[in-house]
Amino acid sequence: MIPMEFFLVLAAILFCIGAYGVLTKSNAIVVLMCIELMLNAANINFVTFAAYNYDITGQAFVIMSISVAAAEVAVGIAILLNAYKIRKTTELNDAELTTMRW
Amino acid sequence: MIAEYTWLVPFIPMMCFLIIGIIGKKTPEKGGYIAIAGALCSFIIAVAISVEYLTGDAFANGDPITSQIEWFHIGDYTIHLGYYVDGLTCAMMLFSSFISTLIFIYSIGYMHDQGERKNRYYAEVSLFLTGMLGLIVSSNFLELFIFWEVMGLCSYLLIGFWSFRHDNGDEASANAASAAKKAFLVTRMGDVCLMGGLFIFLNLFMSLDYTTLFDNAAAVYAQDPELMTLGLLLIFGGVIGKSAQFPLHDWLPDAMAGPTTVSSLIHAATMVKAGVYLVARAFPLYVMDENVMLFVGIIGGVTAFIAATMALNNMNIKKVLAYSTISQLGYMILALGAGGYLWALGYEELGALGFFAGCFHMINHAFFKALLFMGSGSVIHGTGTEDMRLMGGLFKKMKITATTMLFGCLAIAGIPIFSGFWSKDLVIDIAMHAFEHGTDASVWFIILWVLAVITAFMTAFYMFRMWFMTFMGEPRENAQHCHGESPKTMTMPLVILAIFALISGLFMFFGLDKMLAVMGVQIDGAEEGLALFSNMFTYLTLILAVVGIAIAYLMYVKKTVDPGKFNKHGDSWLYKALTQRWWFPDLYNQISWKLGYGVAKGVNYIDRQIVDGTVNGLSGAVVGGGDSLSKVQTGHVQDYSSIVLIGISALAVIFLIIVAQLGGF
Repeated sequence: MIPMEFFLVLAAILFCIGAYGVLTKSNAIVVLMCIELMLNAANINFVTFAAYNYDITGQAFVIMSISVAAAEVAVGIAILLNAYKIRKTTELNDAELTTMRW
Repeated sequence: MIAEYTWLVPFIPMMCFLIIGIIGKKTPEKGGYIAIAGALCSFIIAVAISVEYLTGDAFANGDPITSQIEWFHIGDYTIHLGYYVDGLTCAMMLFSSFISTLIFIYSIGYMHDQGERKNRYYAEVSLFLTGMLGLIVSSNFLELFIFWEVMGLCSYLLIGFWSFRHDNGDEASANAASAAKKAFLVTRMGDVCLMGGLFIFLNLFMSLDYTTLFDNAAAVYAQDPELMTLGLLLIFGGVIGKSAQFPLHDWLPDAMAGPTTVSSLIHAATMVKAGVYLVARAFPLYVMDENVMLFVGIIGGVTAFIAATMALNNMNIKKVLAYSTISQLGYMILALGAGGYLWALGYEELGALGFFAGCFHMINHAFFKALLFMGSGSVIHGTGTEDMRLMGGLFKKMKITATTMLFGCLAIAGIPIFSGFWSKDLVIDIAMHAFEHGTDASVWFIILWVLAVITAFMTAFYMFRMWFMTFMGEPRENAQHCHGESPKTMTMPLVILAIFALISGLFMFFGLDKMLAVMGVQIDGAEEGLALFSNMFTYLTLILAVVGIAIAYLMYVKKTVDPGKFNKHGDSWLYKALTQRWWFPDLYNQISWKLGYGVAKGVNYIDRQIVDGTVNGLSGAVVGGGDSLSKVQTGHVQDYSSIVLIGISALAVIFLIIVAQLGGF
């Protein structure tokens, strides 16, 4: 049987890639995708612990999580599209998108 | 027991003030008749009180009638409100209210064309009279001080009465406003001194009631002479301010910017008399220290002389009278100073004579100065100018005014029978007594005596110079357009006052001497009055006065002596000094700009830089800190998320460390 650590390490690697992407990428769409990566790393952890502990609750939770993530992405993309309509850009560092500070 | 109603004397004018102020606009003459009625009521009550007091037992025993109610406590101090009636109070009440009544009647004519503003005028003069009468009947120094300040306020309001008048151009209005300010601020210097003196007395005596102070004066003086001397000097500072004594005399000539009736009120019935009254009232305290009295006498004598010099070449009819008032006030203060000096040295009879001379001159002066001012008002009313160079030859057109003013001039010049003769020569006489009986320091009094005699000469000269320039000679510019005599409301008070200017000096033969007794010591007026005629110095001053009149006659009527010869046609140093008022206005300006403005700038600096600086610095630090911290909010979502990530990582690490420390799961 594949040891549990393999799954956990995979999830950790995925999470780190996602976090790196969120922190460094300037394109908002890429950032949204990276957030998905981090979310799914967490989902892998859920499924792993559910499988190894013979407890179905974790898997149920993942289903829940995925559906919430889908809704969240829909909202995120909608905001982005509107921002793009007004500002003509999806670059996060662009002055056009950061004028709402202070 | 009408004396119980003494409080009505100031109360009635105060009610008049309120009534005129509220509904005066709807009454005829805008409240003028109410003011007259109020002053007349006060006079009648004052007469009744005086008759009752002077025929009663208290007067025979030399006691005052006094009654007080408690006003408030502060710690151990109790402040009272009440009245204090003695001979001095009666005399002051009578002449103040009587002359004020006449002035108010005169105002009906003089202020006739002032329209709506008359309402304000009559309300303010009523309040002015309240101040004076309240001051006179007060039973303690705090009460006196309150009314003293009421008068200060009213003088400010009335001197500046024409500050909104624009028919003479803006300069006249500006002058009125600045004159009012000057009067207020200069007298304020004295008032601060007076207040300091009252604080000292309150601490020394634990009370400000006259009776307590007079009874304990000797005991307290024996205990703490320095502090008492300081208190007396500070109180005299108040007198210097209010009675326009040297060196705070300069506000009074400027105060001529007000209506002539107001000048008359200030100079004759109220205001400047308050200072002399204060010295007379505090006489039992002042006689404790002969050096203070010497100082008082010196100030009086110097004032009399300096003010008289400035009147010599002034061309403004009212300013000549203003200087003569200062000069005569100097006489009164000199008499009180010399009398108190003698009393302090133990010559009580002569001390009482000095007291009498000062108060008597104050009463006589009130009559003839009110007359002179109202006469000059009548002339100004007729000619429309105050400049004597534009008058002349008015005798034919204004017979009543000219004759009554001649009475006033004769009185102030000290011609026998006229009132000024008796009191002025008593004043000069008492200065001589002070020299004869005094110690080493009394050599001052011979100087003061010489100054007083020269002043008598100058007084005769400048008063008749004024009279001749106004009423004799060729009619000049404005005199030619004069329509003739003023209305009856103006001439009637003049005639009454002229009679008093003639006879008020004779009061000393008919009981005034008994009335103005001080601390139970009376003088014999008839004896002192007749003694003047056996005193050769009386004839000296008389001759000098006549010479003064003769010189004025030669200069301004006959024109055989050219005044220009003496002043090099206005070029001489002395002439310039006199027109510049001995540079006193410049001195005031220098002091107020250099000292006052300097101090103000310093205070401003402290306020703005240190007080405001602390507050502004604190708020600046908070705002600046907030500003710099707000830079953290970059608006880059990735910066926020990295901070969140770092924070969570740090929390996780800490959590793990703690768990490891506690021994693992």
